[in-house]
Amino acid sequence: MLDSIVFLLAGTLAAATPLLFAAMGEAVVEKAGVLNLSIEGMMAVGAATGFAVATISGSYVSGFAMAAIGSAILSSIFAVLVLFFLANQVAAGLAVGILGLGFSVLIGKNHEGQTIKSLPDLELGWLSELPFVGGVLFSHDLMLYVAIGMIILVWWVLSHSRLGLIIRAVGESPDAASAIGYPVVLIRFLAILFGGAMAGLGGAYLTLSYTPLWAEGLVAGRGWIVVALVVFGMWRPLRIALGAYLFGAVSLLELFIQGQGFSIPSQLLSAMPYIITIVILVIMSRNPRLIRLNHPASLGQSWHRNA
Amino acid sequence: MKNRIRVFRTAALTLAATLTLGTAQAQETFRIGYIYPSPAADVGWAHELDEGRRAVEEHFGDQVESVIVENIPDGPDAARIMNQLAAQGVDMMMLGSFGYMNDGLKTAKRYPDIDFIHASGYKTLDNLGNFLTRNHESSYVAGMAAGYVSKSNVIGMVASYAIPEVIGIINAFTLGAQETNPDISIKIVWLNSWFDPSKAQESARSLIAQQSDVIFSIYQDTPSVVTVAEEEGVYVVNTSSDMKPYAPTYLLASMKVSWGDYFIEQVQASMDDSFKGESFWGGMADNAVSVESISDDLSTEQRATLDARIAAITAGEFHPFSGPVIDQSGQEIVAEGDTLSDADLLGISWLVQGIETRLPQ
Repeated sequence: MLDSIVFLLAGTLAAATPLLFAAMGEAVVEKAGVLNLSIEGMMAVGAATGFAVATISGSYVSGFAMAAIGSAILSSIFAVLVLFFLANQVAAGLAVGILGLGFSVLIGKNHEGQTIKSLPDLELGWLSELPFVGGVLFSHDLMLYVAIGMIILVWWVLSHSRLGLIIRAVGESPDAASAIGYPVVLIRFLAILFGGAMAGLGGAYLTLSYTPLWAEGLVAGRGWIVVALVVFGMWRPLRIALGAYLFGAVSLLELFIQGQGFSIPSQLLSAMPYIITIVILVIMSRNPRLIRLNHPASLGQSWHRNA
Repeated sequence: MKNRIRVFRTAALTLAATLTLGTAQAQETFRIGYIYPSPAADVGWAHELDEGRRAVEEHFGDQVESVIVENIPDGPDAARIMNQLAAQGVDMMMLGSFGYMNDGLKTAKRYPDIDFIHASGYKTLDNLGNFLTRNHESSYVAGMAAGYVSKSNVIGMVASYAIPEVIGIINAFTLGAQETNPDISIKIVWLNSWFDPSKAQESARSLIAQQSDVIFSIYQDTPSVVTVAEEEGVYVVNTSSDMKPYAPTYLLASMKVSWGDYFIEQVQASMDDSFKGESFWGGMADNAVSVESISDDLSTEQRATLDARIAAITAGEFHPFSGPVIDQSGQEIVAEGDTLSDADLLGISWLVQGIETRLPQ
């Protein structure tokens, strides 16, 4: 029984990690007032790039780095469309997302169906030997802890730093931010690149650690979960992280319950992660004042500088 | 000359197809169009279809020419590709997905001169035949091996959807395992998704955490489950392709399908104008299914028992669903001395006793 609990908790941390990377990036992008719906495509590009680079070079570091760069390049296409050509953010995001899915197939073409050795777990000495806690918390790879670090970093930057204040100002009222001298377009551009790089890391975590193989369509809708997590987590990194872990936990629990042979229809169980995550996040954020406070006022609107 | 087109997304599809297929040339050779639903990777469904194509090319040499179109989703894209192949003047078409059935029927009616063979469909025309494999035969034998090696007496299965073909495989595997190990119990995780390698891996891990020491990966096109088993050190059985390279230590057996003989026969028939649109349900006797890479961890006697069963199934002396077969509710479905008919097997919708998980209703 204890083994099963360790499996569930440790598995939850791993299952949530790809979502966390992408969601932290998207939180920053949306806080800057841009709605980027291309996460699914960016994660796919990151997944394929990371896998291809790590397979060819044998280096996980270059795999993750190139995944981040690759997805950031894709997100720059989106950035140019919405920031310079003032394209509709929803339409541009969907288009770039589909483009990304196509690109991922192209990048991964020579690696379709191949496997790779999973990113090795960190050597934490006696910590990993601890009963229970060691198995749950201290037997993971480096990137999982990096993701946790990113939650704290994004939370701190957004709510406690000057940079976060500027990003939020750009997202709340680009006119005002521009009037006091902040380069709105540049800040949004950088935010989008950051979002792209993070989605790329999330994708690469999928193919290099969580499911160490490449196959077309491997991201399997996780990018869309991220979009939902950010909105239902009310753009607050800690709530988004909670949502991601909750989602991870319920999706594992679903498989576990099925194996136990309870007579609950498996279709209902398969829908559970989505239902429970959304219900809990909605209940947590049912206060309309909180939503108004956190919702970036200019989210999704094109902005150009009036001369 | 091979005309290989790779189409990635709908937008690029029409253009690419027009460009590449547009270069039709005067035909002397027998041209065959192959449409695959997914990329022909190193393992999996499309890979095995492509192996069939290779066998045809090897057998007929310069007499045949292949046009391969990979990764075509069911629906309008498939219909367009079929029409384009027909317009380009292929003599025969291999439709590699169940979902191509209705478009295939329409195209076959419109082009009576072209012969079609369709994977896993159930409708036929004079110029459209379909093909399926008796995977329950290889599944029974693989199940016997699983019964031998299991120490915890728990086998875990990762399955996509509860369609008759999958249910047939699960039941036969269970019956095989029960023959060699009467105490065996079976846990199934239904993914309710055709393709989610990450979820498949998590399912395998969760089944292992629940004491399964043999994992059965059903219709997973990627080695997702197989690699987890190798990593966790439990035996694994998989379908479609031989996945030994992905689990050199813990692969117990692979249930392989082979289309080569059937494809060659049908191409020959089409060349001789003797093609008949028939349903082919190929088993061990037709070389369409086989059990490959059986683990050396089985003892010599155990191995001999498996080989004897394989020989009996091939000779038609043994049927995996030989009575008495009892379903989960305790009802006797096949009586002592009887076997399950093909029609019942094609529509199978019950699980045998010994499986803990219920069917999704």
